[in-house]
Amino acid sequence: MDDFKFINDDSIAMAKDLVATMERGDETGAKEVVDELTHIRESDLYQEMGKLTRELHDAITAFGMDEQFNKLAEMEIPNARQRLRHVIEMTDQAANRTLEAVESSLPICEEMGTRSRSLHADWKRFTQRDMNLAEFVDLAKQLDGFFTTNTGDAERLRDSLTSVLMAQDFQDLTSQIIKKVITLVEEVESNLVSLVKLTSGKSNKPEVVEGKKVDALAGPVVPGVNDKGVVSGQDEVDDLLSSLGF
Amino acid sequence: MKILIVDDFSTMRRIIKNLLRDLGFQNTAEADDGLTALPILQSGNFDLLITDWNMPGMQGIDLLKHVRADQKLASLPVLMVTAEQKREQIVEAAQAGVNGYVVKPFTAQTLKEKLEKIFQRIEGG
Repeated sequence: MDDFKFINDDSIAMAKDLVATMERGDETGAKEVVDELTHIRESDLYQEMGKLTRELHDAITAFGMDEQFNKLAEMEIPNARQRLRHVIEMTDQAANRTLEAVESSLPICEEMGTRSRSLHADWKRFTQRDMNLAEFVDLAKQLDGFFTTNTGDAERLRDSLTSVLMAQDFQDLTSQIIKKVITLVEEVESNLVSLVKLTSGKSNKPEVVEGKKVDALAGPVVPGVNDKGVVSGQDEVDDLLSSLGF
Repeated sequence: MKILIVDDFSTMRRIIKNLLRDLGFQNTAEADDGLTALPILQSGNFDLLITDWNMPGMQGIDLLKHVRADQKLASLPVLMVTAEQKREQIVEAAQAGVNGYVVKPFTAQTLKEKLEKIFQRIEGG
């Protein structure tokens, strides 16, 4: 609307004409001039509106037809949802693995403590020579059992702790997935900003931001998103490598 | 046995470091990408390199290529531990001269097996 100028030589002449006819008391002549002025104004207004409408339509069409934008809406956003769901699953699994390991370890520690305390009391009686032969034979048997049980328990605790250690790999893997989603969010943000600029008239060309090339690496496999052309696990890696002469 | 662990996630470096200690390898150093790893490798006598693939700066595959192109480091055994599971990437790593490839998430047992395999080959060859 900015370039629509109502004040020009023609309209000034008509305005002067209007004043003159009114001063003359020419009712019909004055109405004719006013009608003419209104007509000029309206036709310019319609033209301007038509131009704007066409521009907006073109811009929206350009946006809608842009492959990148369509890809974002149809592929990337649903993929991002799936990636984030997979992250929830992975953190859930890691937490459960850790909790299971802790829950199976705590009773072992508890029993170890109880056994140690009981044997320690007997052992004190033995060192104070407050024990008969039959009791000592029993204590020796208990000690033997204690050593055997402890060796097994130490092994079980070690396995549980390794399980806790390995469960922490979720941090690396989920971060890699989340980083991909952050890149996508940044891309959507840039596109929305250029759409806002466009509709507010500050720019007349939609700038659709290209997907960043950090996605060149596939990263952790997310079921249903990037599981094509990938191995399903270590066994397939080994098979592939051995087919290459490894 | 001196081992360099390269991964941009400190959590993963700690996991690998602890597993190695459990297997009897105490002498380890860490780096967070290929760019920081290269000078460490060049200045120290390392017997094994364990590296991730996807890292900022220099990626694991490029680190491997640099190692193979460096006269002093060319024969250094390299084990790749990565979430990259594309067939073409595994083939690329093999062609670049990797000695073992472990996909994340891995088990303690898998890491142990691959290390043993590499050491057997060093002793055999």
